[in-house]
Amino acid sequence: MLALWSNLALAGENDAESCLKTKVWDGYADGWGVRTMTSATVPDGKTKNYLVTLYEGNEYKIRTCADESFRNLDVLLYDAKGALVMRDTTSDREPELAIKPPGTGTYYIVLYAQAMASPGGEGSAAMAVVYR
Amino acid sequence: MARPLRPGLFSLLLLAQACTGAEVVKPPEPEVVAPANPELPALDVAALQAGAEKDALVPSPVETQKALEAAGVATKLATLIPNHDFDFKNAGIDHAAVRTGVVLADLLLATKDGKKEDLVLRLGKIDEGMTQLGGGADITATLKDYQERIQADAVSRDDLLKEFDELSGVVIPELEFNGQDRVVPLIEAGSWLEGANLVARAIKAAPDRTAGEKLLKAPSVVEYFLKYVRSDNAAKAPEVVTKKLEESLGTLKALSEKSEPLTDADIDTVIRVTDEVLNLL
Repeated sequence: MLALWSNLALAGENDAESCLKTKVWDGYADGWGVRTMTSATVPDGKTKNYLVTLYEGNEYKIRTCADESFRNLDVLLYDAKGALVMRDTTSDREPELAIKPPGTGTYYIVLYAQAMASPGGEGSAAMAVVYR
Repeated sequence: MARPLRPGLFSLLLLAQACTGAEVVKPPEPEVVAPANPELPALDVAALQAGAEKDALVPSPVETQKALEAAGVATKLATLIPNHDFDFKNAGIDHAAVRTGVVLADLLLATKDGKKEDLVLRLGKIDEGMTQLGGGADITATLKDYQERIQADAVSRDDLLKEFDELSGVVIPELEFNGQDRVVPLIEAGSWLEGANLVARAIKAAPDRTAGEKLLKAPSVVEYFLKYVRSDNAAKAPEVVTKKLEESLGTLKALSEKSEPLTDADIDTVIRVTDEVLNLL
């Protein structure tokens, strides 16, 4: 049972990662380079937070893909003082944010499991920071 | 017209049902619906900081080059890369990791316009470092594949830059290095230190440095590296390079926290303290 659960979790992570890798590679054609690509398990109603340095003058996108355990993954950007800078307004599993930072500095990217297919469940979400 | 069942008769029916062992059908319980999550998570600074991952914290050298150009400093950082005389025999973990990070930064910055032989040489040096750090057979095979394709002119520089971008930002950070947690941050520290040194040199020579100097102010990045090199966290005496790195990062952290613009003397300090580490590698 444990092995089956692990395989299922791994399958979800792979789904999210392979979806994101396709997006990142497609983005190269439009001049987007990748800073990082990572994935995590996020339980229903919880967040996964990432510290990120953004340079003024560059354009950034936060790209995400979540597996089918999610009904709505949200991505939000907060500044270093905890103020919400921007958020996605979609209700889907692949939200994105396009950012032109008002200043060079440290921000927080937040992935929020706003709604899961099965309430109380958890799923895998992959996130990439791309720039140009 | 249907007549209502008399209460006494109903009780008798229930008693008869119980005596025959028939199951009493219970009315269905109301379904419990979990409350929907709020539209926004409840997060303050403390909650954001708690357990925040650092995977996306450190900018890549190519990204730094782009930001420098956007700030009005047109210098190509690749043209400022010195001829490093590194000790590639030194297999100390910290030394090898920082040194490999420096070479990785140089590789990325020189991919577009660098000589083919230099790219192949740098890939060989990265492979040497990866082997010393226990990166595994897969990364060695990947690096050798790059070398062969470059030598055979079988890959464009644009494609190569994409692949090196992924190598630096995704592939190497995912390697386990035999469970040594400090290896990836120290490789990143090497790349960042080389980038900071080159950016400081470019800014020093630029007519207007006001926008560019902000690229040297990254206290969170410096603090992240410091966590891994602080000697009071080490189980044994730190390597020479680790000790110098801690000193240099301490100076860079103080400068990065200045609210006023960096002065000429500050820029010189960045160059000096990064040089001090680079010269030990």
